[in-house]
Amino acid sequence: MPKYALRVNGQVHQVEADPEMPLLWVLRDLLQLTGTKYGCGIGICGACTVHEDGRAARSCEITVANAVGREYVTIEGLSAAGNHPCQRAWIEEDVSQCGYCQAGMAMTAAALLAEKPHPTDAEIDVVMSELVCRCGTYQRIRKAIHRAASEAKAT
Amino acid sequence: MMSTRRAFLKTAAGAGLLLAIDVKTFCAAETSADFAPNAYIQIRPDNSIQLWVTRTEMGQGVRTTLPMMLADELEVDWPQIQLEQAATVPRFKGIRLRTSGSGSTVGTYNALRKAGATARAMLIGAAAEKWGVEPATCRAQSGTVVHPPSGRKANYGELADAASKRPVPENPPLKDPKDFRYIGKPMKRTDGQAILTGKATYGLDTRVPDMLYAVVRRCPYLKGSVISYDRTKAMTVSGVRYVVPIESGLATGIAVAADNTWSAMKGAELLEVNWNPGPNRNFDSDRFLREMEDALSESGYFVRGDGDAGKAAASADRKLEAVYEFPFQAHAPLEVMNCIAHVRAGSCEIWVPTQAPTTAQEDIAKQLRVPVDAVKVNVTLTGGGFGRRLFVDYVPEAVEVSKAIGKPVQVVWTRSDDMRFGFFQPPSIVRIAGGFDNAGKPLYWNQRSVGCDLSMFGPLDEKAMADPRHYSNDGSPWGSFDNPYNFPNLQADFVRRNSPVPTGPWRAVEYPAQVFARESFIDEMAHAAGRDPLELRLELLQPGDILKLGDAKVDRGRLIGALKLVAEKSNWHQAAVTMPGRDWGHGVACNIYSDDCFMAQVAEVSVGKSAGDIRVHRMVCALDCGRVINPLGLEGQTESGLTWGLTATLHGRIDFRNGTAVQENYGDYEVIRMHEAPVIETHIIPSELPPGGFGETAVPPVAPAVANAIFAATGKRIRRLPITSEKLRPEKALCERFLEPGIIRRKSASGKSAQDNG
Repeated sequence: MPKYALRVNGQVHQVEADPEMPLLWVLRDLLQLTGTKYGCGIGICGACTVHEDGRAARSCEITVANAVGREYVTIEGLSAAGNHPCQRAWIEEDVSQCGYCQAGMAMTAAALLAEKPHPTDAEIDVVMSELVCRCGTYQRIRKAIHRAASEAKAT
Repeated sequence: MMSTRRAFLKTAAGAGLLLAIDVKTFCAAETSADFAPNAYIQIRPDNSIQLWVTRTEMGQGVRTTLPMMLADELEVDWPQIQLEQAATVPRFKGIRLRTSGSGSTVGTYNALRKAGATARAMLIGAAAEKWGVEPATCRAQSGTVVHPPSGRKANYGELADAASKRPVPENPPLKDPKDFRYIGKPMKRTDGQAILTGKATYGLDTRVPDMLYAVVRRCPYLKGSVISYDRTKAMTVSGVRYVVPIESGLATGIAVAADNTWSAMKGAELLEVNWNPGPNRNFDSDRFLREMEDALSESGYFVRGDGDAGKAAASADRKLEAVYEFPFQAHAPLEVMNCIAHVRAGSCEIWVPTQAPTTAQEDIAKQLRVPVDAVKVNVTLTGGGFGRRLFVDYVPEAVEVSKAIGKPVQVVWTRSDDMRFGFFQPPSIVRIAGGFDNAGKPLYWNQRSVGCDLSMFGPLDEKAMADPRHYSNDGSPWGSFDNPYNFPNLQADFVRRNSPVPTGPWRAVEYPAQVFARESFIDEMAHAAGRDPLELRLELLQPGDILKLGDAKVDRGRLIGALKLVAEKSNWHQAAVTMPGRDWGHGVACNIYSDDCFMAQVAEVSVGKSAGDIRVHRMVCALDCGRVINPLGLEGQTESGLTWGLTATLHGRIDFRNGTAVQENYGDYEVIRMHEAPVIETHIIPSELPPGGFGETAVPPVAPAVANAIFAATGKRIRRLPITSEKLRPEKALCERFLEPGIIRRKSASGKSAQDNG
């Protein structure tokens, strides 16, 4: 089986995998980074969102072969102390219910804020409508994004 | 009456009995120095305080609410506690671990408070004896017992050993609610940090040593089967280890077990299977819905009979009639069904996101022919439940695979499996006729509901079915049986129509379909009579009037409170909003969930010129559900229930063609997303009455509130869900035959009537 060197959360991991195995399953089953979730498997729910070279990407749609040479960050690596402005804002707004989708939500929001530090509601809609939360926490997600934006500005 | 559907789903009631069972003394066995006065609490000499959560966390907040109740009476600081999740072990024998019927708060409030108070009394007793003082002069606070006159204090850990040797008090004093420290105060979710750092472990994230991963290639046909299969191609996938046919569970097929989930998925795809489509190869859900509609001509089981609706109809001055439709729905929780089973000789251990661990334990014991105590079910965090995880069909299949391969294995459903092979919300057809007397007073209500039994409860006892009051005895259908409106003549019945589709409880169970019909029709009646829909509801509810329905006592006054508050908060009586290029309207609906949660909602909606262009801008909710344990959690549950209801209103439906489900992912089974999510306002009516369960309450009024708002905006009446399937085309309604031109009017804020284009 082919071997690949993947950069995830600042570390290089050696994995042996089928070239077509999606990064999602490499993370979850080979690297035991289970914070990245399986939701739909076809890139339409966003639960598996990670950062690829700083941009939000669906790990269920990236093959391990294509992941080589890129830098990935998962929810486990979003911040060393679990205190990224999005993580803090999500907790402050008590966003999570079942919480299963929230890693993908927070990763997507973090990438959005990196690109647009003060997104409008319409900009939030465009990006966040690509994700699914079956518990219906959208209103709190929106508030948390605005909170994270204003806190990032304050610091 | 535990065998009935209603009782089965709602065993939250009867808190007295639960109290007796739940707060029995727990023998802490060999750990002598630990203080464990009951199953919920363990205090160790090192002052660590463990609290057990006996319900499944699936987003409704039990891992926050339940410990709040314990910690309040126990008098400990929130950061001191460590949460443990109850498994099916002897410690919890006799304690309910099942999570259903919005019953976790209702069913544990008394028991958990008593459990905390028991421990507190014993710790105070231990300190008082040690210090030679009267217990009444000591006080518990922040995990310590203090004796203010002498200034002495001891933490709970220091007192644990002595407390464990004291007799367990029968009736320890409970706190005065005014002294509550946590109950009634907003508390953020305990697992928030773990969730946001990827450390929260759901079922799918659970790993045990040497486990494999399995995916099942399932027969696409309802109750179809495998004729033959060829594993050759599947075995060529790297990592695939075993191919095992399975017979247990809901959708049989061939399991492929592999070193990782991806290999299992790929292997399952490459299996070549010859299916026997079985007896339902021609099943079509559209045809079934039409058959249900045809069944409206049959007379049904008795549901309600006050006065004489038939006679009243003959003398009514103005009458109308309409038929409403609610389709099949999927739960589609974001975490797919999954289960790890490790079968060993004579025993089995399970890790599973389930609402029913004890059922799983019993089922596995039967399946493996081992004693119940040889099966341990560990409950993981759950990525949404909504009723789907009340049924444990995905557990025996994991047991079957593990037994066959002799290794621990996690069976993972694909999203497509989850969407096509679950238990579905059954469809409903409801016809209501109603009318007014010649003085304009509401005179009669005549409702016929055609619906399905929930097949997950197994075949019904045909002898019991011979009782014409079978459904009424069961309190079904919810929303028709407990119709709160005070018509002098009110008749309701129920016609059974079952399909081969597996059906089970879905958030709010029977309420959504019945309440959609009931609250839409009240609105139709109001418009037919030129009345304000909210005012007509108030007329049909009288303060202090208790409606007795079997064991249920419905206080109409509490629903009035919710309606009045929602009117105030939504500015119901103020002028309509003008939106360029769009028609704006608001609609109201209300419901009583399970006789203890009262909710009214107003939806503000606008409709654009192109087909299906509907925006729900704002939903205002007012509710009375007794004492609120965690207001922050309650707001979250309102937002969640509303969004759930909105998905069913605007998008949700599962179709079956040729015996197989059509929709299989979030692309064709659309759910509400951020851009469609309305602003939601939750207004809580303070109450000192016992807490009501709230996980499902917000769902039922959503569809009628939105449909009524669309009528107010456009004059087009929605009677079929989801709304988009009507494309907002005007439907020739039965009721219009009874109406003279120009009668459908709505009042504007100025009191003038505006002509609708209906």
